[in-house]
Order: sequence, then structure tokens, then C-alpha cells
Amino acid sequence: MENLILQKDKLPELIEKLSSNHVLYGPTEENGFSLFKQISNFDELNLKYLLTRVPPKSLIFKQTETLFKFTPGRKGTVTSTEINEEKSLIFAIRPCDARSFKILDPVFEGNFEDPFYISKRKNTVLIGLTCNSPERNCFCTSFDDSPGSTENVDILFTDLDDRFYVEVVTEKGKNLIKSVEDIFEKSTKNDEDSKRNIVTKSVESITRKMDLDGLVPKLDKMFDHELWHNTAQKCIGCGICTYLCPTCHCFDMQDESSLREGARIRVWDSCMYPEYTQHASGHNPRAIRMSRVRNRVYHKFSYFPKNEDITACTGCGRCIDYCPVNIDIIDVIEEVGVISNE
Amino acid sequence: MVDQQLLIDEVKKVVSRDDVKYVIGYKKGTTGFTISPAFAYSTEYADKFIFNPLCKKNLAAYPLLEDKLPLKREEKEDKRKIGIVAKGCDTRALVQIIQEKGLNREDLVIIGIPCSGVIDYKKITAMFPNETAYSTIEEEQGFYKITINGKVHEIAKEELLADHCTSCIAPNPVIYDVLIGEEVEPWDLEEHKNLDVLEEKDVGERWEYWKEHFDRCIRCYACREACPLCYCKECMADLLNPQWIRRSVNLSENTAWNIMRAYHLAGRCVGCGECESVCPVNIPLMELNKEIEKDVKNIFEYSAGMDSEEKPLFGTFRPDDPEEFIM
Repeated sequence: MENLILQKDKLPELIEKLSSNHVLYGPTEENGFSLFKQISNFDELNLKYLLTRVPPKSLIFKQTETLFKFTPGRKGTVTSTEINEEKSLIFAIRPCDARSFKILDPVFEGNFEDPFYISKRKNTVLIGLTCNSPERNCFCTSFDDSPGSTENVDILFTDLDDRFYVEVVTEKGKNLIKSVEDIFEKSTKNDEDSKRNIVTKSVESITRKMDLDGLVPKLDKMFDHELWHNTAQKCIGCGICTYLCPTCHCFDMQDESSLREGARIRVWDSCMYPEYTQHASGHNPRAIRMSRVRNRVYHKFSYFPKNEDITACTGCGRCIDYCPVNIDIIDVIEEVGVISNE
Repeated sequence: MVDQQLLIDEVKKVVSRDDVKYVIGYKKGTTGFTISPAFAYSTEYADKFIFNPLCKKNLAAYPLLEDKLPLKREEKEDKRKIGIVAKGCDTRALVQIIQEKGLNREDLVIIGIPCSGVIDYKKITAMFPNETAYSTIEEEQGFYKITINGKVHEIAKEELLADHCTSCIAPNPVIYDVLIGEEVEPWDLEEHKNLDVLEEKDVGERWEYWKEHFDRCIRCYACREACPLCYCKECMADLLNPQWIRRSVNLSENTAWNIMRAYHLAGRCVGCGECESVCPVNIPLMELNKEIEKDVKNIFEYSAGMDSEEKPLFGTFRPDDPEEFIM
């Protein structure tokens, strides 16, 4: 399909049409920050912010998921949760957040298939939005990604001031556009050039960079280095970095019940908490913060690339922005490099 | 303004003492307006120490956070003191912990800093969203002078001042071993913002207000981890048998958590604002804390963390204690 143009004044119409037959999620503003919410009209949409505070992974890998329900006793029953097959759409997802699903897919669609994740992933169309002006801690380009990348979205919108340049990337995207085709116009070579210029400028404005060259073997030699103690000393063990991370995917499962009924639920968990690794015996293999902080870095930059051939970081910068004690992952990786070269 | 050289010299003096393990303070962060907690084990490292209005973080949580592994055979516990750079609210937290016997006064060397209020990180980053570095930041006659790329920005203090500072009762450290510079003049206290929601609105409106905030909570427990007074070895929220609060993230459980957190700090919260400033989803936790602080003050004439010889509020009983609030 050819690339298209959407005049900005047509956006409300598009949102209205798409939300009539999809559950449509878009960035909204609430209490001074941005978050993805289900919307049904254009007025609720807020495209002022670059990144939502909580990443859109929460729409596909929900923070709380009921796996099945049960009732106790000899006549007790187990009722599995019906898989939700409703069609949904995430509008204005940023390329880095879209890339997070590429990292999460092998976890939930790999050796063990998670029906909840898979159905949501399959039934969700990702409409991306190019980042015209990246934020100060953005570093997606360190992962060969780009603020205007079409690689992990179904459709990509780029803001060209008075209009959007619309690239239709996948079959899923094509099918969606076909249903609302009459709102769009044909694009010209000029529009394509405009997008390219915007992306070039955007890439140039990204100042932060993470050096991933040879990182896995470097980390292999550094497990016992005092760097981990020094980094962890200021960590207060809050879970912000993991809860706001678009690629963190650890969860806990618990049975929550009252006298007559109960449910097995799955909730996000965080490796920053001591309870995360606490054994029933009382022993805790990661009893101190040093080993928890180290694990977070190793999981993203060593274990995950070894197992899945992809680094578990998108370069969105949320963990840097919201860490209350300035544990800066770029800085930590830089120190790994410096120490390895000594 | 705190004289940086005085501070560094004092930190050097403390860190070189034989009975001191390390000194906790502040250094410049890696990017933008961030400040990083710093741990000086040597006099050389002390050169990195700073204090400016961005040094908001309450460092009083750190002495209790120290990573401790079981001792090896014949290994002796390192019982040397910990040095700590502390503002008024930080020292109030230390006093409160000392009252509760969480720390011993003699295990600390407190380098007190008179503080005329700190900058709210969320406010300053909203004002300068894309700045990656600043060179200096100073307070002068009701203004903050911020130098960025050679350009000086003058911003009225009230635009950037953290909300909890306007009702601060201890701008000067309440305990210290050494004080850097002169004490500051206390200022006219203002009531914390939005307390009218809790005081004047009816129950329905109050619930609507808090429902919206608690609904957003992602239960990361950053409020708990950042709080210097939330240092229970085992938090009620983590207990599984019995499980008081379910891990499901929904309005009911989120409300239970937030109310429980606020009540466990009744008569203990020192008003440093850490919980609210770390909250990733902007829940105005200080409104709850401040309202309870006000009640405690009015009913029991007690303010937390002001005198290390005093007994904690819930550690005392007088037969004539007011009890009108008991239903």
C-alpha cells in the first residue's frame, strides 16, 4: 500500500471511526503526566508528551490478570478465564515502546505460551507516532532503533505540522486503513522527504548513547566487581525502575480467596524487592541490594541477550528519569566499559 | 547559601576519623537537575560533595539500609560510625528513628545543614524539560538563580519550592555534631496545599477525590522504600500468612495500602515529602500525612522527630489523653 497523508483536522473523525469498532487506547493527560487510556473521542487525546509515565506494555501484559477462579470443598470448581478476543488499537505508541513487544514476545510466546498475552498481542494494532523532539534521556539509537522507525508498528504517523504522513507497514495495518480509507489522501515525494528530514533532525538531537560493544563478554568478567556494591549503595530498593520499564516482565502468582470463592491472579513483581527471591525455607539467594541491582543489569544486558539474542532495553530512559537516587543505567554501562578497559 | 568549601572540609575531617566508616552526602547527578546520594570513604571522594537547593532527598533512610551479610567465622562487625549530611527534615527523621530505637545517636556523626527550602524536581524539570546540564544554582532574596549554558535564569522561589517546605517547622537541624554556616531564620508557616479537601468537603466529595488518586496507584511501594520512617523489618503489605492486603492492583486494595501507609506514619511522619516526590503516578500523599500531622499536633501537642530524649507518641500514655476521636 502506498503511504498516505492525513490532514490534521481529519484526526477527530479518524479517532471516532476507529473507536466505534475497536477498543482504542491513546495517550491522555491526567494530573500533569501522560498515560494510555481507553478513549472514544479526539478531545481526550494528548499528544503533547513524548512518553507516557507507565509504558503501554501494561495494555498487553496487564499488571493484574485473573488466571482462573475456584470454589473450595469437595464439590469445588475451577473456572478458567475466558480469553478476551476483542479488537483493540494503540494509537500514538512511540517506536521504542513498540519495540518493547519484540523483546517481550519471546518471553510470552516462546517455550511457554501465555494465552492472555498472545491474544491481546494478536488482536492489537499498533499505530506509532514518530518522535519529532526526543527527551534528554532518550537513547533508542543505541539499539539501532530510530525515532521514526516503522519496524515494530503496523502503521506509523509522522507529524508534518499541518498533516500526518502515514506509513502503512503490515497486513494488519493495511486492513485497518482500508476500513477508513476515504479520510486519507495520497502522499507525495515531498512528504516522504519531510519525514526523512524530521527523523534526521530528531536523531541528531539525541545526546545520550550507550556503548553496547562487547558488553556481554565484559559483564561475564565483572560479576564480583565492587562496581555493583557502589551502585547499589544508593539504591533504596523501590520498584520504580522495573514498574516503569517497558521490557521488565517478572510477575508473581497468588491465590486470593474469601470463604466461598477464590482466584489465582498474576501481578507484576519486581526483582528489586527482597521478597522476589525469598525461599519458603527463609533463605534468600539475593539477600542484599547489591545482588538485586546487579541482577537487574545482568538480566537486561547479559542473560537476556544470551538467551534471546536481543538486549532487554529499548532506550526509553524512563528508569533514568524517575529513579529517585539517580542510578543512571547509561552511566553504569559506561563504567562497565571503563573498568573492562583498565 | 551553604559554603561548599566549608562542607567539603568538614566532610574530609569526619571521614578521616578512625571511628567513622563513611560519610553520606550529595553530589551532582549524571544528567539534568538530578542529584545523586554520595558515599565518601576517602578524603579525595569528599571533593565531590555539594549542597544546593536541589538536594532534596532525605538521606536519613541510608544508615538503616546498609547491606549486611551474615558475618564469616571470626569476622567482627564493623561498628564504626556513619557520617551523614543532614538538613532540618533529615535530622527530624534521624531523631524519630533514634526515639524508636532504630538507630543509636552515638553511631552517627551528623553534619547539619541549615536549609531555606528545597526545589521540587518535578517542577524544575517541567520548567526546563530538555536541559541536560546546569552549571550553578543559587538562592538569592526570594529568587533562584540558575545558570544554564552561561545564561542566568531568575525564577521566583515559590514557583519551584517543594510544597512541603512551606509548612516546615525545622529549617535548621534539630540535632547535629557540627553545623555548616549560620542558622537560617524560620519563615511564616503556611498550611499545606489542598487540606481543605480533607477538612471541609463532605465524605462523598472526599472519596471522589481520593478514589481518583488511589485508582492510579501501581503499588510499586516506592513511597514506602523512600520513606526514612518506613523501616519495619517486615512490612504488613508483604505478609502472606495472613495476607492483609492483596497483591491485586485495584481500587479496593490500593486504598487499603495507601490508608495503611498513612496511618502507620501517624505521629511519626516528619514531613520531608519523600513519598510524594518519588511517587511515579503523582499521588498527593503529603496531603494525607499533613492532615494526620495536624491532628496529632492539635490533639496531643506533639510533633514528630523534634527531640531525641522524648518518647515516641505511641510509646506514651497519660490517663488524661484526649479520646474524643475514639468512636
